[in-house]
Amino acid sequence: MPGPLDGIKVLELTQIIAGPMCGVMLSDLGADVVKVESPAGDGTRVIGQFMPHESKAFHVFNRGKRGMVLNLQTDDGRKVLHRLIRDFDVFLINARPGVPQRLGVDYESLRSFNDRLIYLSNTAFGPEGPSAGRAGADIIAQAYSGLMVGDEKVDEQGNPVLITATTPADIGASWTSAVAVCAALFHRERTGRGQLIETSLLGAALTLQNFASARLPVSDATFLQPSLDAVQQVREQGGTYLELLEARTGTRSTIGAAYLLYYGGYQTSDGAIMLGCLTPQNRQQVRNALGLTEAEDPTDMEQFNPLDDGSAAIVDAVRERISLRFRSDTTANWVAKLDASGAPASQVNIPEDMVDDPQVQAIGAIAELEHPLTGPERMVGPVYRMSDSPPKATGPSPIFDGDTDDILREHGYSEEEISALRDAGAVGDSATA
Amino acid sequence: MPGALDGIKVLEVTQIIAGPMCGVMLSDMGADVIKIESAAGDGMRLLGQFAPGESKGFHVFNRGKRGMVLNLQDADGLAVVHRLIPEMDVFLINARPGVPERLGIDYESLRNVNPNLIYLENTAYGPTGPSAHRAGADIIAQAYSGLMAGDEKVDEHGGPDLITATTPADFVAAFTSAIAICAALFHRERTGEGQKIDTSLLAGALVLQNAFTSRLPVSDAIMLDPILNGLAAVRERGGSYRELLGARGGLRALVGGAFFLYYGGYQTSDGALMLGCVTPPNRQQVREALGLQPGDDPTDDGDFNALAPGSEEIVARVRAQIAERFASDTTENWIAKLDAAGAPASQVNIPEEMIDDPQVQALGIMVDLEHPLTGPERMVGPPFNMSATPPQAEGASPPLDGDTDEVLIEYGYSAEEIAALRSSGAIGVPSDS
Repeated sequence: MPGPLDGIKVLELTQIIAGPMCGVMLSDLGADVVKVESPAGDGTRVIGQFMPHESKAFHVFNRGKRGMVLNLQTDDGRKVLHRLIRDFDVFLINARPGVPQRLGVDYESLRSFNDRLIYLSNTAFGPEGPSAGRAGADIIAQAYSGLMVGDEKVDEQGNPVLITATTPADIGASWTSAVAVCAALFHRERTGRGQLIETSLLGAALTLQNFASARLPVSDATFLQPSLDAVQQVREQGGTYLELLEARTGTRSTIGAAYLLYYGGYQTSDGAIMLGCLTPQNRQQVRNALGLTEAEDPTDMEQFNPLDDGSAAIVDAVRERISLRFRSDTTANWVAKLDASGAPASQVNIPEDMVDDPQVQAIGAIAELEHPLTGPERMVGPVYRMSDSPPKATGPSPIFDGDTDDILREHGYSEEEISALRDAGAVGDSATA
Repeated sequence: MPGALDGIKVLEVTQIIAGPMCGVMLSDMGADVIKIESAAGDGMRLLGQFAPGESKGFHVFNRGKRGMVLNLQDADGLAVVHRLIPEMDVFLINARPGVPERLGIDYESLRNVNPNLIYLENTAYGPTGPSAHRAGADIIAQAYSGLMAGDEKVDEHGGPDLITATTPADFVAAFTSAIAICAALFHRERTGEGQKIDTSLLAGALVLQNAFTSRLPVSDAIMLDPILNGLAAVRERGGSYRELLGARGGLRALVGGAFFLYYGGYQTSDGALMLGCVTPPNRQQVREALGLQPGDDPTDDGDFNALAPGSEEIVARVRAQIAERFASDTTENWIAKLDAAGAPASQVNIPEEMIDDPQVQALGIMVDLEHPLTGPERMVGPPFNMSATPPQAEGASPPLDGDTDEVLIEYGYSAEEIAALRSSGAIGVPSDS
């Protein structure tokens, strides 16, 4: 069965993660995605490079695409793009504001060749505003947006540490981009009109923490204002980053400490376990599994008020009791007991082990691909199912300059034209020219 | 201008974050979203509750929807869903596998009433597999998927600590769901066919770390296998969670020590800043701004080999030099210098203060809403712009049972029918509760 975007043609001029990952998602949905690289190649090709132009990250963020090399600094290279764009439905670019104009690939230029085009521009800080022209990267959006402070990590010297589990702003921007492109295709199907879509790392990062960044004065007076005041005070004293983090979270802890007793991690006799209880029922299931009586944990009883003096000491004592019990048995035994009780609990897995996990296998989240240069590889494929138009991983990432000639032929270029363009350095890896 | 999903009707039976946030995104694009709650209400109403049934979390994850209360355990309540569904385009549910069947709102039941329905079911572990029926939550998906180990946080007792910046698995499931729904709407527009979509917290969390979870044997032989062996050794001797993370941390040290010199954070004289350099030219811009001489930092020289003995000491020496320079001036001055140099750098902001940030203001990301019960509030609106169909925040979150009668009247219920449903407890909140 073809994917829902079957027949849709996407041209992407993107690099690193945010733009490329959006291209992967469109490819999974059945779109034909052509990646345009400069003669230097997507910067991800050299991050963790294990052979010329090939890195694991490039493979992951560019699977299922065909690749071509165009030199947009040359008039001829630009003309190729202008000739191809007439046959495309979607154009993706991630670059600083102003760069598309300089390269002649801005929305106004491209829509003059194709007025049904859906044009997506992703930037770090958004298309306007005082920071629009600043250099960006996922880590910069993490820092600027507050995500990094929200994760509360510092190194041994007290320096801020990034979220290392993922590149949240980049991947968040990929997702918002793919949502908007699909919605725009739907709109075009109904009205015949294309449009310009603008996404940003900053916008995506803020969405990921829309709860923390929102203001609701009636609620904030109780829950948020003490934290804002404490942060302000540290700033006035010229305090360190660590002191700032502590001021921000310290005021929350009296309210949230009881809640975090059953929403957080403990060590077991052979590793660690994580609890995810959101309701009193779930917390009681854990207490039952641990054998804790009401007297040993009064935090869910009506007379317990987290704001009373002495409550923090009670919560600490309960935490100690829970820790002791968990340490008395293995992770596997505790997970089995908690599963049987119905409480949310999990072992804490290592990301590199997940390709072989039985649950991951069962839901078919891993795609097996064969790269023409580097052989077999397994990676996360499309992670949702659609019964009538299933998404699928269509293939590995493109070899550098691998499909340039094929794509040009497909769009009506003759052999003579192609070799002339190669000789002029307008297309292809200039090193081979 | 109407949004891209103008005229599309969405019914959601969701709670907490993953399902509700998908509803918000559809609402932003112009869909009419009706949220169905039980008389107890979405559990999110109680997390940080500041007025009866109202919490900041609920407001953020349910803005722009209308709300109705139905008792799905009651045959008359269920009949209401079955009467509304023929008019709906999209149905969203997040629940454990089997729950929709028990309630009579599974895909087969609802497609009988509306064959073109787009039905989205989001679960924690996916629809099949050994863990499909286990209890889930964002924190559980973080732990199970490897995200939490990837973030490398440990609490003071050595237990695993969650990613606190956001609820990554919930959000990603929301984004994945919105992409699949928009693609399915496009597919339905072209073919007339509806379908079932399955998403999960686990699968979404795997995509967020697809560079870590993938396997590429030729590259892994050098970069990954030594780490996997280290992990196995720690496990065999029964090492702690912290030791396990330490063994995995070698992954980044092995290839990344030099890379993280200019991709990470430093303290300044009055706080901290973050560098986000991924290319040699960016790193050189930082060196120049810091006044580092060519001999001070050899890590980008062609003959520097990160794997050679002694290179760790060189990286540590360079790091100390960089740290010393940054400590000599304020964040603001360093940012100005680095911006002028063209290098990606940022102050490390506090999420709760982003609402007043000039860049965020310039982009119009924050929206001002008025809640009927709790007054004015500001929060993150749609994180992207579309020129022909601009997304917009449609309004505040619904009070519990706020729009039940209005929705029923719209779908042809008479005042008598509504009163009868209310007195039988099929709709609305019982007055004695």
